[in-house]
Amino acid sequence: MDSLISAAAQALAAGDPLGALNRVALRDDPPALALRGIAMARLGDVIRAKALLRQAARAFGAKATLARARCTVAEAEIALAARDLTWPTKQLAAAREILEQHGDRTNAAYARSLEIRRLVLIGHLDEAERGLADLDPSPLPPAARTVYELIVAGLALRRLQTKAAHAALERATRTARQVRIPELQAEIERATATLSAPAARVIQGSEERLLQLDDVEALFRSDVLIVDACRLAVRLGGQLVAMARRPVLFAIVRQLAARAPADVPRAELIAHAFRGKEADESHRARLRVEIGRLRRLLKGMAEINATRDGFALLPCEDRTVAVLAQPIEDENAAVLACLADGEAWSSSGLALALGASQRTVQRALDALALSGKVQSFGRGRAQRWTCPVVPEFATALLLPAWSSLD
Amino acid sequence: MVRAAAEIIREYGPFEGEQVAGVTHDGRQVWIATGSSIKAFDPANGDVKRSLDVPAHAGTAFDGKHLYQIAEARIQKVDPDSGEIISTIPAPAGGGDSGLAWAEGSLWVGAYRDRKIHQIDPATGQILRSIPCTRFVTGVTWVDGELWHGTWEDDVSDIRRIDPATGEVLDQLDMPQGTGVSGMEANGDTLYCGGGPSGKVRAVRRPKRARG
Repeated sequence: MDSLISAAAQALAAGDPLGALNRVALRDDPPALALRGIAMARLGDVIRAKALLRQAARAFGAKATLARARCTVAEAEIALAARDLTWPTKQLAAAREILEQHGDRTNAAYARSLEIRRLVLIGHLDEAERGLADLDPSPLPPAARTVYELIVAGLALRRLQTKAAHAALERATRTARQVRIPELQAEIERATATLSAPAARVIQGSEERLLQLDDVEALFRSDVLIVDACRLAVRLGGQLVAMARRPVLFAIVRQLAARAPADVPRAELIAHAFRGKEADESHRARLRVEIGRLRRLLKGMAEINATRDGFALLPCEDRTVAVLAQPIEDENAAVLACLADGEAWSSSGLALALGASQRTVQRALDALALSGKVQSFGRGRAQRWTCPVVPEFATALLLPAWSSLD
Repeated sequence: MVRAAAEIIREYGPFEGEQVAGVTHDGRQVWIATGSSIKAFDPANGDVKRSLDVPAHAGTAFDGKHLYQIAEARIQKVDPDSGEIISTIPAPAGGGDSGLAWAEGSLWVGAYRDRKIHQIDPATGQILRSIPCTRFVTGVTWVDGELWHGTWEDDVSDIRRIDPATGEVLDQLDMPQGTGVSGMEANGDTLYCGGGPSGKVRAVRRPKRARG
């Protein structure tokens, strides 16, 4: 590494991209191109940054495998920040392997954490969790380490492991103190705030109250039969019946749970489940079919008994029933409930699951996106929607100011 | 040309969170350039004894009284006691400079990507002559009339003794994969090699057959 490259890398590491550019702006050798690319990305010019890094990778030549691999990793982070998820992941994985083989543990771990961030972003949470379990974060520099802890915290939040989430956020706070990146600080504060904000509303008979995330966690561990309108599921202890794609069945069970142990008249069930239709004989027949399906789904958890006027939900072994709902239930709650599984949904998939028209779903998504409750990536038919599991940190570029050497 | 694997006798560091961009020896301690400072450590135990807040991005040299330190595109003359910068001259490769050595009243500067070693006048920075090299040059040092330099190109590093007149390679010591040489200084039979971003300094044995 020569003197100006070293000085520019030092400026970048200290958070001074303009200082870095000043030192190498007039140079076109590969290390200078790469540093200019990283500096441009930090300054927000993603397109120029990508072009410079590509140019650098080409100029390094075939023999400089390490330097080229580092360019690939930097380019992947830029793509991720721009939500360009079409980025060829194989290239990133190949670059990571090269870095591992050459003993560059820092950049290898960094590449792996980028792969995991992408998995989280596209809603592959199980895979992301497995990736996290395998990743040794110790070689990561403080900024990247902070992001790693935010991913851990985000996944723990999603899995309702509030203790683990707290611990990860504490670690994030510690590592963030070593760098002065205000965006990272803000992310940690936002994530911490979600831990104490009302996460859900529980309805038991006539009683209704707000729950924090750890209350929800405790409720899930209790032996209450929960009809979970936050995630469209019925759960009892470890048992879970997902109903995100059975909106009619869920509407019925929610009605029954809200009234249990009393019964709900047929007309009311029909009106709720079948969208306000007047009850006629064909609807009664359809209701019987749906109740039959529900009985099979809830086998071992609850029974549904016919009464003179309608149906009543009876949990097995005299357990109590609770309905868990969003803290504030707006008209878009059902869409949020689907997305709460953390997967990436297409709007047509949501429409199908909710039995609503695509236009209705699209309107709901647009409204939710405006208030920041959902996010999308991709375009056109490939557009997908998710709830932000992990805070929006993926846009904060952390590109390490690596050099061409060692 | 004699080629062999470099024999690493000892490793120092990594020196806290820093790179090692230049190395020199003042007869007692080893000085290293670490980006924002020049530090001196005791080669007997690796303990850091001194630290001067001087920008230090590449090669370091010692003329018996002063330190010379490349920073950005200039060479600073530094008082090792006070850390004061006494004077500066332009670096011959305009910021593409890497290694630095003092010998025979001249400074010898490695021009990294230019694959050259420039001999310059330490008072003015004027280039007196240039020795062509075959690979990217990092550290440069003179010892017992031998000119040695480090190379680092395409993830491969080695240490070479060259003919100062022609640049012909006389000896080549290959560094293990993954160890680079940035900055070099000889003291007797030991070649101290800076390890760049690894933050380490490696002591390599100078082969006996090279002498004479």
